Amino acid sequence: MFHAKKPSTMNSHDRPMCVQGDSGLVLTTDPKPRLRWTVELHERFVDAVTQLGGPDKATPKTIMRVMGVKGLTLYHLKSHLQKFRLGKQPHKEFNDHSVKDGDRATSLELQRNSASSSGMIGRNMNEMQMEVQRRLHEQLEVQRHLQLRIEAQGKYMQTILEKACQTLGGEENMSLPTRTFKGIGNHQGGLTPDISAAFKEFGTPPLTFSSFQDLNICGEHIDLHAQSSMGERSSSFDGFMNLSNTSTDHNLSLGKKRSSPYNTSNGKSPFMWSDDFRLHELGGGGSCLGSNNEDDHQIIQMERSCNPEIDSVSDMYESKPLLQDEKKFDTKPERPSPRRAAQVSSLSAQGGRNSVFG
Amino acid sequence: MATIVDETISDFDCYGSLSIASTTITTTTTATTSSSSWNDWSPVFDWDVFSGGDNFQDLIESMVQGSGNCFYKSEHQDCAEFMEEEEESGDSNNNQSEDIDGLKLVHLLMAAAEALTGVNKSRELARVILVRLKELASPNGATNMERLAAYFTEALQALMEGSASGTLHTKHMFSPNYKDEHRQGDVLAAFQLLQDMSPFVKFGHFTANQAIFESVTHDRRVHIVDYDIMEGIQWASLMQALVSRKDGPPTPHLRITALSRSGSGRRSFGTVQETGRRLTAFAASIGQPFSFHHCRLDSDEIFKPTNVKLVRGEALIINCMLHLPHFSYRASDSVASFLSGSKTLNPRLVTLVEEELRPIGDEEGFVGRFMDTLHHYSALYDSLEAGFPLQSRARALVERVFLGPRITGSLARMYRARGEEERCSWGEWLSGVGFCESNISFANHCQAKLLLGLFNDGYRMEEIGTNKLVLGWKSRRLLSASIWTTMDIDL
Repeated sequence: MFHAKKPSTMNSHDRPMCVQGDSGLVLTTDPKPRLRWTVELHERFVDAVTQLGGPDKATPKTIMRVMGVKGLTLYHLKSHLQKFRLGKQPHKEFNDHSVKDGDRATSLELQRNSASSSGMIGRNMNEMQMEVQRRLHEQLEVQRHLQLRIEAQGKYMQTILEKACQTLGGEENMSLPTRTFKGIGNHQGGLTPDISAAFKEFGTPPLTFSSFQDLNICGEHIDLHAQSSMGERSSSFDGFMNLSNTSTDHNLSLGKKRSSPYNTSNGKSPFMWSDDFRLHELGGGGSCLGSNNEDDHQIIQMERSCNPEIDSVSDMYESKPLLQDEKKFDTKPERPSPRRAAQVSSLSAQGGRNSVFG
Repeated sequence: MATIVDETISDFDCYGSLSIASTTITTTTTATTSSSSWNDWSPVFDWDVFSGGDNFQDLIESMVQGSGNCFYKSEHQDCAEFMEEEEESGDSNNNQSEDIDGLKLVHLLMAAAEALTGVNKSRELARVILVRLKELASPNGATNMERLAAYFTEALQALMEGSASGTLHTKHMFSPNYKDEHRQGDVLAAFQLLQDMSPFVKFGHFTANQAIFESVTHDRRVHIVDYDIMEGIQWASLMQALVSRKDGPPTPHLRITALSRSGSGRRSFGTVQETGRRLTAFAASIGQPFSFHHCRLDSDEIFKPTNVKLVRGEALIINCMLHLPHFSYRASDSVASFLSGSKTLNPRLVTLVEEELRPIGDEEGFVGRFMDTLHHYSALYDSLEAGFPLQSRARALVERVFLGPRITGSLARMYRARGEEERCSWGEWLSGVGFCESNISFANHCQAKLLLGLFNDGYRMEEIGTNKLVLGWKSRRLLSASIWTTMDIDL
């Protein structure tokens, strides 16, 4: 039935068996012209299917829309999609049990499909190469998105904590450097000694639980100043936010003096993406942390600036020291590709067990 | 007098070098010389019985025969035997004392559970064991096992008291309200700690969000019905993903309907309305078109699909987060009504996150499930410790605020339900009701693995079937995320 729709593509023979239509479709020249699924066409097909979320999610209609190939009809797509789906099924057994996916056509599958559909077997190596590239690219994308999402969660967490600190701490406009948890500590619902003890274990309050906000992964800079007007508000973050505002504060020395590497003996810090990575102390970590009295707070601050060794004992989120010239926190670091590559390589080097390459 | 008591206590405690023979002698002497002081120390138990010389021969016989049957011969003899056995187990070398202590606690717990519900129930024995446990284990103990045992002991104690009074004050004692007793600051702090120290929350949220994100690539309106929105943090990352998506139509309008329950919510995270306000503000801050509704549930917490307002052309997603560590348990009737009600709404996708428990046959009964729960939580505790061995107080806080109450609630449910049919997982239930599995994409799987890579090595990711990812610690599965759909694929 479909051949009736394509009278224009019945050109004179260029090749013995197939003709090239003006839409780019290759048709056979049998009495009943059938569509030839060439490798290119098939690739576009696979691309479209992947885009739509896999062969199970894609429908011929949507594929047609996405592919945007003139002359391709629903019938072509229906049958090809069915073959594609069936073609994938037996392969599920061959795959690693940890690597099952409807989207991802392995090179083997591609080979099968293209071999059966188009009869051109010779392009396998190329396909495999492209497949690997495609996979790699996708993984990088996933990684980037993951970081952004974790950051978003961190931001949201901050709003919760802000609210809570406000409720707990009341409105007091004290000078920023001396802002502490005093107000909160006095409050009925405030921090218990339990909590302050718990958080002290994590060392530097500004770094603690600031999650990915502080980690300028891929150079995305979350502008904490813009995001929250905490600098003015009387929340308990102020003391810590202050760290980011002043560049000459002794608190900054926290980062510089920290000379010990990550505590890998403890198992990894969850926020270590790569060894090259700098933790920017943007201060306003998302938490009402620290001690619940003024003295302790200041003592902690002083301790740290004087005693670099303390950091290594209990810090969880340690990093290599900031370079001396990286005092300013407003700079947007670039997103150099070597860094990205370093991240990826270190990520994959971090262990075969969770290797992103399956 | 006091020193003698101390000495004998320490003898029992360190289980250093007591052999059976010397045990006999030692206990005989201590028992006879300080029996009165013993009674001062532990009035619950009649130590005078223990001191009788005649019994020891029998005791040793039964120990030598060594089967569990002799455990329940008679009440007092049980206790005596039990104490004997306790000492004996501590026989081995001191190097492994910590392991042995842990093992001892496990044995004690199992014995207590057995005494409470086993074939030969004995409340007296259970009580004695619990007393002992309370001495050995404290919620602020040094080892995981100790703290875990403390919470389990507390839970068992509550069960015992509940059943003694004839009615289990289940609603009151084990309901989510229990958590309100914790101060708001505590809960928030514990929540933040939980999120940063373990991947559970992020895993559940991100896996669900990724599946949702992928399924709405071409939609302009998205409507999510959230069973238990809590503080709403799950949607922050979904919004971020929607706002920054490159292909397809521009950022879709997101509508979230959250179920709200009458009675107390989690006060620390505020009411559902507050969550709504927070989400609205957040959405505004990143430029996500957003609207929030809530759907009130009656006190019976049964979901009625007609209460949900639907709009033509929107993609409907059902989101059901059940056993994340900071969540309260919801009654299964409520969950069932929600899921079956959802089916009538014909959603595009259903995302389900629940804890993964080993299916236990009926023959194992309460004790079997008890031990399984113990195993489950001990894996949980271990996972926290492995990542953050130095931060014991932080972990203790999380345990106190979230895990302890869950243990109590979990055991209460099991106790109530014993003899009834074991409930299957919600995933199985869904497929029984007619939902189809929906694939977990490569990107989703990859994201989950990357996420785990940020945490300790011991976390494992498994893919089960085509639509389920399970997060586990070492060999123990803990939390599963699965994706379901109602529509069959049309060709």
